[in-house]
Amino acid sequence: MFKYFSSSNIYLLIQKLIKLINSIFFLILVIGLTFALILSPPDYLQGDAVRIMYVHVPAAWIGLACFSVITLLSVLNFVFKVKNFYFINKSIAPIGLLFTCLAIITGSLWGQPTWGTWWAWDARLTSMVVLMFFYIFYILTFKLLKKEELIIKVSSIIAVVGSINLPIIKYSVEWWATLHQPASIKIIGSSSIHPEMLLPLMVMLLVFLLYAALIFLMKYKTEIIRIKKKNIKRN
Amino acid sequence: MISNFITMNGYGVYIWLSFSVVFISCAVVYFKTKKTLIKYEQEFLAELQKLTLEEKNKALENSKVAQQILATSCETN
Repeated sequence: MFKYFSSSNIYLLIQKLIKLINSIFFLILVIGLTFALILSPPDYLQGDAVRIMYVHVPAAWIGLACFSVITLLSVLNFVFKVKNFYFINKSIAPIGLLFTCLAIITGSLWGQPTWGTWWAWDARLTSMVVLMFFYIFYILTFKLLKKEELIIKVSSIIAVVGSINLPIIKYSVEWWATLHQPASIKIIGSSSIHPEMLLPLMVMLLVFLLYAALIFLMKYKTEIIRIKKKNIKRN
Repeated sequence: MISNFITMNGYGVYIWLSFSVVFISCAVVYFKTKKTLIKYEQEFLAELQKLTLEEKNKALENSKVAQQILATSCETN
């Protein structure tokens, strides 16, 4: 069972997955953009400005999801010492930072036509900026520290402390009076978003997820090659 | 109709800017990641070339990754 998860077998699987994603990505991207920019209806209040939602919301979701995964794997790595988790986290963190920054920028571009301001220090926006800084600190540990054990310890602490911010982001719109609207899509309970808008949102989420998976696989593959290169030198 | 699509009823600047920022950033990250991957693959191959024939065969025998990188480089060349 564990033999199957050797870096050699994972490498072969990564090659296949990259090819698969590359073959379907552009088709799904074109479908997503057609829905988001042409077929989906304008909002009765926000008009066409609502189309920014199709890039803003998936970016924010992936930004949050990446940090949740990093926290989980950091804790597991700290307890069970699985080296692969360290490489997975190292590959995921830049993706999370990218999408968090994109969520903040697109949110600002959406805020101007709907709220009349580019920025407000309200709870949701501020907590997203805090998340961005946690990503930056997390990535900096890999760049600045040299000893692997120390990197694992420091990065795990940053991930665990940063995870406190995740429920704050999620519930900030309910706990405080914010400019940001409450969640329209709920996993439990009925969503208040129209199906004609939900479908493009889900397709764009799929596009972003495929992109994130592609970048992750490429970064993880780079990590495997880096280790193998070191091993060749040693032998 | 095309004019409506571009102006998006007055929200065009915000919408196109949002989509552009997202796709340009994603494209930059994609190409940068790909460039790093190719660089590491080439460095790995260079290390492999430095080995003697015996060491090279042993490394290829023991590592599927080495075999794959060599095969991919042959395909691209």
